Amino acid sequence: MESWIPTLLVLIPLLPLAGAAVTAALGPRILRSNSHWPIVVGIAGSFVAAAALVFAVRGGLPAAEDHSATQEAGDAHAHTEGAPGYEKVVTLWKWAVVDGAYQQKTGTKTASRDFRIDITLRADPLTAIMLSMVTFVSLLVAIYSIGYMHEDRGYWRFFSYIGLFVFSMTMLVSVSNFVLLYVFWEAVGLCSYLLIGFWYEKPSAAAAGKKAFLVNRIGDFGFALGLFLLWTTYGTLNFHDTLAADGSVVQGLSTAMDGSVVQGLFGAQRLAQGPAAYVGGGVATAICLLLMLGACGKSAQFPLHIWLPDAMEGPTPVSALIHAATMVTAGVYMVARCTPLFHASVDAQMTVAFIGGFTALMAGLVALTQTDLKRILAYSTVSQLGYMFLGLGAGTVLGITAGMFHLFTHAFFKALLFLGAGSVMHAMGGVIDIRRFGGLKRIMPVTHLTFFVGCLTLAGFPLLSGFFSKDLILAAIQEKQGGFYAALYMAAAFTALLTAFYTFRAFFCTFYGPELIPSEAGHHAHESPRSMTVPLIVLAVCSAIVGIYFEVTHGFADFLGQTPSIAYLSRHTHEHIHEGFHWQIMATSAVIALAGIGLAAAFYWPARHPIADGTHKAAEAVGLYQLSKRKFFFDEIYQMLFVWPLLGVAAASYWIDRNVIDRTVNLIGRAPPTIGAALRPLQNGLVPFYAVGMVLGLIVLLAAVLMGWGWMV
Amino acid sequence: MNPELALLNNYLVVGAILFGIGVIGFLSRRNTIVMFLAAEMMLQGISVCFVAWSRYHNDLSGQMFVVFIITVAACEAAIALALILMLFRASGKLDIALWHHLRESNQPGFVDEEIPEPPADGKPAWPHLTRAGIEPKADPGATDYRSKV
Repeated sequence: MESWIPTLLVLIPLLPLAGAAVTAALGPRILRSNSHWPIVVGIAGSFVAAAALVFAVRGGLPAAEDHSATQEAGDAHAHTEGAPGYEKVVTLWKWAVVDGAYQQKTGTKTASRDFRIDITLRADPLTAIMLSMVTFVSLLVAIYSIGYMHEDRGYWRFFSYIGLFVFSMTMLVSVSNFVLLYVFWEAVGLCSYLLIGFWYEKPSAAAAGKKAFLVNRIGDFGFALGLFLLWTTYGTLNFHDTLAADGSVVQGLSTAMDGSVVQGLFGAQRLAQGPAAYVGGGVATAICLLLMLGACGKSAQFPLHIWLPDAMEGPTPVSALIHAATMVTAGVYMVARCTPLFHASVDAQMTVAFIGGFTALMAGLVALTQTDLKRILAYSTVSQLGYMFLGLGAGTVLGITAGMFHLFTHAFFKALLFLGAGSVMHAMGGVIDIRRFGGLKRIMPVTHLTFFVGCLTLAGFPLLSGFFSKDLILAAIQEKQGGFYAALYMAAAFTALLTAFYTFRAFFCTFYGPELIPSEAGHHAHESPRSMTVPLIVLAVCSAIVGIYFEVTHGFADFLGQTPSIAYLSRHTHEHIHEGFHWQIMATSAVIALAGIGLAAAFYWPARHPIADGTHKAAEAVGLYQLSKRKFFFDEIYQMLFVWPLLGVAAASYWIDRNVIDRTVNLIGRAPPTIGAALRPLQNGLVPFYAVGMVLGLIVLLAAVLMGWGWMV
Repeated sequence: MNPELALLNNYLVVGAILFGIGVIGFLSRRNTIVMFLAAEMMLQGISVCFVAWSRYHNDLSGQMFVVFIITVAACEAAIALALILMLFRASGKLDIALWHHLRESNQPGFVDEEIPEPPADGKPAWPHLTRAGIEPKADPGATDYRSKV
């Protein structure tokens, strides 16, 4: 089984890419309304390969005693305790090889080192989980899109973008090198941009795509700086250990004792050495904060969260796939992957936790008053991503596995909710404002039921998956000492209440109350076709059971804990992992979830209640309602702080370009015609005149020769 | 001076004279055929020099060049005469100054001054001299007849 890993790792990204290429080539002319086949088949194959990869990795996990499966690791970790985790690295080829690219000084010695980018894929539990999750959700979304995008003009274009996205995302989580991570980080950003602006005739969609791209640029800039700092600090950007060429190695932070191996950032040798192998202090904090800035951009965390709600302009399957389940979790994945780096800086960990907690609370408050169903879900996504970062910010094995577990369950229930919202939107003729429809329970029974399951899961209803993953995060925060984490715990618990409330507010407004159907829907508002309802049902079943399955078997945390980066923590921190359930937290959050649901029911069930209006008026009176409705004025503040000054600078630059630079250039451009005009009379077309010129020239040359002006001739 | 050198000198002088006559003829005449003949004369002057140097250095390559020059001159003569013939057919004149179409587009064309007709009585007209002591007044309108340009 383990010997299949290289093949599987290559197949997983390759199949969607091939599907995308086939669709792009044949879609517009030949396949037309069958354009979904290459993509669905490609992603299905990719999913099968990813599932096989999970089993292959599980099969390759070391037994309890120390037994390393890594390729190039020596026996350097023999003296450490605990399992080193499992990784298998597959190098496809080497790219951009520059021998002796830079000088490295160590003490008095200077030596040149090579630069090269290894096109390398890796298989470890973290990658396997991400790959299976991404391909599974992508497959369901692709099937759903067959119904949702039916008869769209850009049908084939949509599917080839989806294939490209799945390729980029699977590569993003399986590469073993920061340079390639960055490349595919940008590639998923590109796919996101293309798909947000999919209906590019709509000005708001085009603007939203641009906004997403530009805001992500800020984060990516930080990410790039972080990579530069990593390179200058460690001299390598590989995750894994690599064999060094002869004589090109300097003894230093990145080199093993015998000098034959360049230690990767998360390679077995470095991880075995423990915290001593990582630079600490200000440099570590700077690296982590820059990486975190990149993660904030991609995962829509404060202060770069503003693009995600606008990204809902794209088709709903895209919102479900890219902006809820997969791409936005890239930041979480990256921070989880860089656990050892973040472990080296307590300040950075606290920053991650703070950003996560603050974003969760802030987005939860905004979601309370939004009236656009997809935007409620978008803010909910921002809020849940905040939860994940909160878990990662705890910096413990429990926190990181909890964050990743929440990522995993969130992918199911948030994709489910978005697809359900898409189903409603499909039936309502594109209307998504929850004030304009209501009482859809009778018309759309399947959507109603699956949406209900999704809402319960998101709200953290006991025994559903969201309940367990959220509890683990709360437990991880509660375990940490100090007032800082206590405050974050309170914020997270309050956010859970908000989550339950706004989720069920949207649910009740959509499916209960008097039946209200907007005129855009026509007379035949109906349940969505089977290609859309089947993915909903599958996702609903998954959302309901994955949590309890993994909670009972404890399989997720144990499996994920075998990732080298995360196993590092348990090896070097001697952290005690609490087995079993956190009863007290579970009880608290069950009460919170039920309270939130009950509050929403009191306000909006079976119809909008006078209490809701009263609360609304009271909140309006003190200005809180507007504050939430207008999203804490972030857009306006950014407009004033960044957009206007930039527009001013742009206008000034434009003026300078027009009036100073262009005029100078024009002035220079005028010189040749002026000189030409002066010489033009010489060209009068008379043969004798030319002859005189030639004879005079001849005389001058003769004179030069005779008078010894050799330089002239 | 040895006889060889004296011989060379004589020939070079003849060549220079031929070349000089050619240059002067080329510059001073407007008749295309005459100009063409003048150009040929320059070529012959150069050829004579070549032959003289060839003789002096006892090196036949100079004479080889002359054979080439004569050949090229023959070809050139064929083309030039054909060209002159075409030009003559187009305008009926051999005056080179009529053909100045290759000038810059915004340059004024060459305008030939008319040669005044001789007076009917056939007597030459001389410029009117004013009395001494007073500045002569120019008569801008009148163009005096001269039998030679």
